[in-house]
Amino acid sequence: MSWQTFILHVFTYGILLYSILLLVCYVCIGAFSISETRTYLNKNSFTDYRVLASSTEAPSISVLAPAYNEGTTIIENVRSLLSLHYNNLEVIIINDGSKDDSLEKLIDAYDLYRIDFFVNAQLATKPVRGVYKSRNPVYRKLIVVDKVNGGKADALNVGVNIAQNNYYVCIDVDCVLEQDALLKLAKPFLENATERVIAAGGVVRIANSCQIEGGRLVKVNLAKQFLPRVQTLEYIRAFLLSRMAWTRLNGLLLISGAFGAFDRDIVIKCGGYNSETVGEDMELVVRMRRYMEERDEPYRVSFIPDPLCWTEAPSTFKILGRQRNRWARGTIETLRIHKKMFFNPNYGLLGMLSYPYWLFFEFMAPIIEFFGTIGLIIYCLSGPINWSLFMIMLGVLSIGVLYSIFAILMEVLTYNQYKQRKDILRLVLVAILEPVIFHPFVVWSSIRGNFDLLRKHNGGWGEMTRQGFATEKKTVTKLL
Amino acid sequence: MKILVAEDDQLMLKMLEFRLKKDGHEIVVTHDGREAVAKLEEFKPDLVITDIMMPYLSGLEVVGAVKKKYPHGTPVIILSGMGQENVVLEAFQLGADDYITKPFSPNELSVRVHRFDLSITK
Amino acid sequence: MFLAKLLILNEFLPVAYFSRVHYQVIVMLSIAGLIISLLVYMLFYMYFKSKHEKKHDKWRLISDLLIHRAVFYDAEEEDIDETEAQAAIAATARAKKLMHNKHSRKFVTGEILSAKKNMTGTASDNLKQLYQQLGLDKYALKSLKSRLWHIKAKAIQELTVMEMSEYVNQLYAFTNDQVELVRMEAQTAIVQFNGFEGLRFLDIITYPISDWQQIKLLQQLAHVPPVNISIDGWLRSENNSVVVFALKLARNYHRFELHDDILLCLDHADQNVRLEVINYLCEIYTDDTTDELISRFLKEDFKNQLAMIKAMQNIGSEKDILFLLSLLDNESHEMKLTAARALAKIGKSGLASLQGHALAKSYPLNEMVLQIKGELAA
Repeated sequence: MSWQTFILHVFTYGILLYSILLLVCYVCIGAFSISETRTYLNKNSFTDYRVLASSTEAPSISVLAPAYNEGTTIIENVRSLLSLHYNNLEVIIINDGSKDDSLEKLIDAYDLYRIDFFVNAQLATKPVRGVYKSRNPVYRKLIVVDKVNGGKADALNVGVNIAQNNYYVCIDVDCVLEQDALLKLAKPFLENATERVIAAGGVVRIANSCQIEGGRLVKVNLAKQFLPRVQTLEYIRAFLLSRMAWTRLNGLLLISGAFGAFDRDIVIKCGGYNSETVGEDMELVVRMRRYMEERDEPYRVSFIPDPLCWTEAPSTFKILGRQRNRWARGTIETLRIHKKMFFNPNYGLLGMLSYPYWLFFEFMAPIIEFFGTIGLIIYCLSGPINWSLFMIMLGVLSIGVLYSIFAILMEVLTYNQYKQRKDILRLVLVAILEPVIFHPFVVWSSIRGNFDLLRKHNGGWGEMTRQGFATEKKTVTKLL
Repeated sequence: MKILVAEDDQLMLKMLEFRLKKDGHEIVVTHDGREAVAKLEEFKPDLVITDIMMPYLSGLEVVGAVKKKYPHGTPVIILSGMGQENVVLEAFQLGADDYITKPFSPNELSVRVHRFDLSITK
Repeated sequence: MFLAKLLILNEFLPVAYFSRVHYQVIVMLSIAGLIISLLVYMLFYMYFKSKHEKKHDKWRLISDLLIHRAVFYDAEEEDIDETEAQAAIAATARAKKLMHNKHSRKFVTGEILSAKKNMTGTASDNLKQLYQQLGLDKYALKSLKSRLWHIKAKAIQELTVMEMSEYVNQLYAFTNDQVELVRMEAQTAIVQFNGFEGLRFLDIITYPISDWQQIKLLQQLAHVPPVNISIDGWLRSENNSVVVFALKLARNYHRFELHDDILLCLDHADQNVRLEVINYLCEIYTDDTTDELISRFLKEDFKNQLAMIKAMQNIGSEKDILFLLSLLDNESHEMKLTAARALAKIGKSGLASLQGHALAKSYPLNEMVLQIKGELAA
């Protein structure tokens, strides 16, 4: 056997193993998701959430909404947050050093005045410039915080410092929430008598082309443009299949930064959001889980599959590329910070399954796909033209399509947000087109994310590591 | 009497409308707080009945809007599922004239509405 | 991906050309077959679902009519006798026909339930009659025997909301059911029908009661006339969640006479129980309550310590000033702020001793004092 064939063999068998594992994951995710979704829907079918709205015993919640240059919509968005169905609530808007007139507009619209407020900086943040409340008793739930710009993680940390309640819900201020979103998100924290629920995630849906009025979703429409439409499919796949399945196993690692609820006490104990990473939402959940594992306390990260939060998805390749680039970097940074858990039996399922899954299938998938494709092309060009290569490509793509179609079916069977048959058929068409038109771009953006991070390493590695490790050290000392 | 009703539950709204019409009142129904405040100007009601948890604007904001517009007239009855002390107190502090918690008796509502009717004719 | 590599692999293995092609075709066909069957299933499902949904408007019309007539049928006002009243409430033949179809029955039941939840008095009684005349209670009873937990639990809930008290005996057995949702609904039902007496299931349950369930039970109890049942037995329950629930009852119903019994629970082994005791004492207290709290302060963990001081914002008095002042140099800012607030709420003497404290001029206490003064002024 020549060395070329040997390398080819190693390469091929490696990829073969990887593909089989991925396929097994798909099948398992499908199965777990079905069973978790079914249990949830059955339970949900006769739950009266109004009980929570009208009880004095309902847990107190702080809503944290960081805002940066949202001046055009902030008044309406705040109003819709204030009209959420929940009694025991405070709404904290964190103005992250906006350069526009957000703060002035808020002061005007809600009759705010600056109050004396001692900020208990349990999490280190950029300085707070002022805390405001309304003179009008109707807006007693509202608190506006003005702070020096420091990014989303920093703004959220300020919110956590200022929040008075046991639980907090972080949301993007431009998201549109359903009226009963908080009632549904609060329930998991009350349900479990044996495990402590440390966080609960919610579904994020795509709001492009939907009819929105006064910060409220009036009618759901399928996005008209191609890019948001593919992302609709992507989100259905991610939330309805993947996250549901991971919830079943109690191995969920990511709660979307746009909409999730957290136990404030534990967040503070493990050091809050890490402003050194672009993936602060995932990093926090991983750190909270790690904290609980290290203390050996029974815990759970819960997930609510109801479509409660709607957000505008990027509709240009430029913005989408930037987003995916950021996601890739966030994943890598999180995995790097917590590399200690990799196949570490002390961390149970978290170390043995969740972490390796993210490493192999979320972080490495784009890299393997990228180099696999390049390899295939080289192979194809160097040898005689092979007709079966066509079949090969078709086979790969069709398994992906199958998975997407299954996701669409789950959507139809459960929440069925797109009522018209035409819309569902459009989604099916998108599922077929995605692997050819959309997916290569996503892979390319992830590769660029990897590359950007690598370049940062070589250029400013020293500084990065120092800060990165400093945060980790801080976390670790707090864990001890 | 001209009554403006704000309630986001369709079935409830229909029943309220039906009952109050039967009692001989003129009714305008609205489905959320924003619509209620908008109709205030055009309809000039003698009484407002409002839920608290509604889209866009809460019932408490409706109370605020009514009291700002008609500082001495137009009473407001709150009809809400929330019976917590702090909510009830807040409603009265904002100027609500009566507070009924759900589940409620339509007969009782009718009588309470009638009370405000008398105070106007007097 | 998987398939791709499998096929590349074939290139290097001594497999006959024909069988390779054959193999590829079979794999491709089976994937295509799976996709198509999923699609066909989806289309059929959507077709039947939309067919049902088209009927919703018709069903809504009928059920709304039924509900209106039931709710607004007032026997006294129209001055007719009982039998005629029955007839008027009675559903039309058409409505009864709807009851034979599973989907329409579910729909109408849902509408009646949601109306019932909002009504009391005559209207509510009439809805009960409507429910029974449509024979919906019989269907619910049938569902009680279902092997599927969610159908069973839903049926129990339905009978509870409709106040079908004649079936209460069939529900007792479910209060300690192994499925959580079933026993939750059964417990709620018993409380609905038997009021406070119904809480006797607390004597026997072996499973913990979740916070959610406790909220539901308290809500249910709010709708029945309060009775002074004896709670003290539950305070000694082995089931910690029962103790917690009993404490919540004592707090909500202002059971002053239990004060001394409950004070004993301050030394309970479970942290959550002790926290709930503190919450109780926050509302029901005597002159000595704060002394009892202070004497146990050092033994508690931080969370409960904080709860104690929060309680003293309500129940603190001048004799606690010295103790509260000693917390102003506590290492936790949150504790300092809470203690400072408790001092300020004691009254003039408290506020004066807070402002006179050596640390009050410097950070962080100076800012805390400003905040508290602002709060008091608001």
